[in-house]
Amino acid sequence: MSVEVRDIIARDLRPVRPLWPPSRRAVVLIPIAVAIVIGVPALNFFRTDLDALGFFRAWGLSIAESASGLAIVALGLRESIPGRALTRRALVLASLIGLALPLVIYAVTTDTFTVGPRTWSVWRFGLACFRTSLFASAPILVVAAFLSGRALPIRPVMAGLLYGLGCGLVADAGLRLYCEFTTLPHMLLEHFSAVVVSMLAGAVMSSVIVQPGKKQ
Amino acid sequence: MEPELAALMQAYLEGRLEAFDALYAELAGRVRGYLLSLTRNGSLADDLTQETFLQMHRSRRTYEPGRPVTPWVFAIARHVYLMNRRSTSRRRRFEETVAADMRADEFARDDARAWAAADEVRRALGAVPADQRHAVLLHHVEGWTFGEIAARLGIRVNAAKTRAFRGIRKMRERLSRQSAPGAKADLR
Repeated sequence: MSVEVRDIIARDLRPVRPLWPPSRRAVVLIPIAVAIVIGVPALNFFRTDLDALGFFRAWGLSIAESASGLAIVALGLRESIPGRALTRRALVLASLIGLALPLVIYAVTTDTFTVGPRTWSVWRFGLACFRTSLFASAPILVVAAFLSGRALPIRPVMAGLLYGLGCGLVADAGLRLYCEFTTLPHMLLEHFSAVVVSMLAGAVMSSVIVQPGKKQ
Repeated sequence: MEPELAALMQAYLEGRLEAFDALYAELAGRVRGYLLSLTRNGSLADDLTQETFLQMHRSRRTYEPGRPVTPWVFAIARHVYLMNRRSTSRRRRFEETVAADMRADEFARDDARAWAAADEVRRALGAVPADQRHAVLLHHVEGWTFGEIAARLGIRVNAAKTRAFRGIRKMRERLSRQSAPGAKADLR
C-alpha cells in the first residue's frame, strides 16, 4: 500500500455507523407514502364511487399498490449497495410486476364506474392526472434518490429505475382514490404513463447523483 | 475466511487502523488480480487497487455487518474500474475534440492567409497599367504563349513579352512594399 493512501486513511479513520439495511431504510419512506396516498385525494376530493367499489377494491388495492411500490423502492436501495446487486432476472421480474400492477388494479376496478374521455385525445383535458401523479411522486422520489445516493450504486440507472418505479406506484395508489375516470385511454396515457415517467426520472436522478469520476 | 474478514471489517468500522492493514493484506492481491484481468495493464491495476481501498474507506458505511466482505470489496473495485474507464473515455473524447478544433483553426488560418494573399495580388494587379495587366493575365493566368498574345492584341511578340515582364515587375514592387512574402512567392 502506498504511504499516501495509508496516511489519508489513518488521518480520516474514526468509528462509523453502518447504513441500515435496505428494507429498514425503505421503512423510513412509509410516512411519506401514507401522506401521498391520503394527501392526493384529501387535497382534491375522494372519488364518488368509493362506496360502490367497496373497501377492498378502493383502500385495499391502494394499500397493496403502495406497499408493492415501497418493496420495489427497497429493491432499488438494495441495488445501490456494493455486492448486493440484483440478478438480471430479479430486475426484470421486479420491473414487470411493478409495471403490471397498475394495469391489474385497473382491470379489477374498471367495471364499476366507467367515465372519462373515451378517445385517445386525452391530452386535450390538460393531463391533470398525469401532472398530479408526477407532483405526488416527487417528494418520495427525492428522498429515495438521497437514500440510494448515500450508498454506492454500481449500476445507478438500474437502481434509479427501480426506486423511480416504486415511487410512481405509491403516487398512483393515491391518485386512484381521487380520479374516477376509468376509460382505457385515460388510464394508459395519464396514470400508467406517469408511473413510467417516474421510473425514468428515477434513472436520470440516480445517474446524475452518481456521475462518472465523482468520488462517493 | 469470510468470518475472519467480517470480524476485521467490524473492527475497521469501529476505527481500528490495524484492522484496515489486515484487510489490505488479505485482499489487495486478489483485488489487484481482478483489476489486472479487467485492465490488462499492470501499473493501471496498481493505481486502481489503491483507489479501490480509498473508495472502500469512503464507502465503508455501506458494508452491512455480518455479510461477506469479499463481494462488497470486489463490487467497489468494479465501480472504481468503471469510473476510471468512463473518465478516461471522456478525457479521450475531450482531447480529440480539442485536437479537431485546433486542426480546424489551422485550416481556417491557412484559408485566411490565402484569402489575404489573393486580395493583395488582386490589388497589385489592379495598380498595373491596363495593357500590361492584359498581357500578364493572358500569359500567367490563362497560359497563352507570347505568340498567341501578340496575334490577339495585334502587337509584336517582343512587345507582348515586355508588357508582361513590366506588369509583373510592377506587381512585385507593390507587393514587396506591402511586405507579403506569400504573395511574392506566388509570382515567382
